[in-house]
Amino acid sequence: MASQRRKRGENLFVRYLILGAWALFCLMPVLWFLSIGLRPRVEIITPQPIYWPTFSLDAWHMIWEDWPMAKYLRNSILAIFGSVLIDLVLGIPAAYSLARYEYRGRDDIAFYILSTRMMAPAIVAIPIFFLFRNAGLLDTIWALMLIYAAINLSFVTWIIRSYMLDIPKELEDAARTDGASDMRILWEIIIPAILPGIITASVIAMIFAINEFLFTLLIASTPNAYTMSVALANFTGGSDGVIYNAIALVAFLAFVPVFLVVVAIQKHLSRGLTMGAVKGG
Amino acid sequence: MARIELNGIQKRWGEAWGVRDVNIDIADEEFIVFLGPSGCGKTTTMRMIAGLEEPTEGEIVMDGETMNDIDPRDRDVAMVFQGYALYPNMTIYENIRFPLRMRGVPRTEHDGLVRRAAGLVEMTDYLDRKPGALSGGQRQRAALARAIVREPQVFLMDEPLSNLDAKLRQAMRVQIKHIQRELRITTVYVTHDQIEAMTLADRIVIMQSGLIQQIGTPDEIYNDPANTFVANFIGSPPMNLVEGEVADGVFTAPGVKVPGLPAGVSGKVTLGVRPEDCHVTDEDIDLTGEVYGVEPTGDLTYLTLQAGEKLFEIKADRTYRAPLGATENVRFDADRIYLFDGESGERLRRE
Repeated sequence: MASQRRKRGENLFVRYLILGAWALFCLMPVLWFLSIGLRPRVEIITPQPIYWPTFSLDAWHMIWEDWPMAKYLRNSILAIFGSVLIDLVLGIPAAYSLARYEYRGRDDIAFYILSTRMMAPAIVAIPIFFLFRNAGLLDTIWALMLIYAAINLSFVTWIIRSYMLDIPKELEDAARTDGASDMRILWEIIIPAILPGIITASVIAMIFAINEFLFTLLIASTPNAYTMSVALANFTGGSDGVIYNAIALVAFLAFVPVFLVVVAIQKHLSRGLTMGAVKGG
Repeated sequence: MARIELNGIQKRWGEAWGVRDVNIDIADEEFIVFLGPSGCGKTTTMRMIAGLEEPTEGEIVMDGETMNDIDPRDRDVAMVFQGYALYPNMTIYENIRFPLRMRGVPRTEHDGLVRRAAGLVEMTDYLDRKPGALSGGQRQRAALARAIVREPQVFLMDEPLSNLDAKLRQAMRVQIKHIQRELRITTVYVTHDQIEAMTLADRIVIMQSGLIQQIGTPDEIYNDPANTFVANFIGSPPMNLVEGEVADGVFTAPGVKVPGLPAGVSGKVTLGVRPEDCHVTDEDIDLTGEVYGVEPTGDLTYLTLQAGEKLFEIKADRTYRAPLGATENVRFDADRIYLFDGESGERLRRE
């Protein structure tokens, strides 16, 4: 009995050792980035390896003081939250319609919505540039909101739809005979029941939006609409050369909030993704 | 309180028939049960009364008013579903209150009505729970409370007991009947369980393939079946039906010889006799077969006899025992023999 318990203990220790090593391995690039971000610039570009890095907040001061990083951050946050809001306002009713009503061409419409995700975004870059220019929206956060929302709308709709398909139809029939209108049913019955799906879709949309680069670069031409992702690119050009420690630090700052959100909701996230994959029809 | 008329109701989905032709007149305060195998159109008919489906043809009338184009929420009906359909994110209290909120019942009355409905189904102790924390029986009682809370004109119940175990089902059955009598609300109840139908119904509507086979009180349905389908569907074990020939007032089939039939009947005929109208006897009469099985249940013994290819179920005395393979004679109660047309299965009535 005693030896058995010790054996179990050993197993547990070995297990944690292996898992810990794997976690460290996976987190290595992130930690490496952080260490670059917190080193003086000279140290990063020396040809000799340095085993004991010097700690420095040079890059930290630089990004906040020499660059309008706070503004970029604000732009990012506004554009991302705005786009997710647009996606939910448009996506939830669309998903409900695709999940519940029967009409001609419903499946074609559903597929068309998904297909907007299938082409290479660069194909529409130029038309979109002219579209926003003619609308006078170039270099504004509004344009970013719209473009992020457009990029993400398709899968937000699909994820939410797959959650809605899981809700028994009886529930809506019950609400209908209880006297609820379609909007009341959506608002009081469906949305509370699929909240995990809505959160999942929102987080994934946020991650895509944070990483979006191509269209942001196209639309933003001044710090008025620069976001974190485009700001990163600013550190590579210019007379100062490539400022590696600032890039690393900004990238790390952009990564941390996403990481924390994903950790917080990972249970819903995996459930949402697999459910969408397995069910779908 | 409402009277419901279904006039020539049909429901089609493309080529597929749900309901072919249904005409029923449901009286005020009546408890009517739609009974039939799955896919017979009984649930579809109920959903059309609720307004959840639109009839392809025909007219639904409640208290003289045509309901075809009226939305479910504007029909004064409440429905109980097989899967309970409680709103998972709301407490039981909020679930029961939901129809009151949706129908604009004044707020001040809500609490009293919810507690009264919960009291009727003995759910007062569970009002602050969520549906997920309740057992199947409790959920069904909560669903029942939600249906009765605003005292609708019509109750619609779609197999409400089929997810419960046998003991609970019987208890709930009595409760449903009691509540219906107390509130005196017209009730349409759908089931495939003949015991539920027999025990609950004022009248039973037996359906098959979208057509009504027979409408009648439980006694009429049991004692006076309109055709072989009804005869076979009602009763446990069901009526023995055997195909044979009638000549000179004598019915013959392998192992079966029944004399004394009305003179007008001849040719291919199906003879029916209920298991309790068969009696083991020493006389060489009516049915002779080999003992296929003997199942004592305590209060009676089920005897299965094989005659030709056909197995006959007989309710024998509780002390009856016989070895397998033994030959037994069985007498049928002469006035409890049913004759059906050999082709159509329709009842051949004695003049």
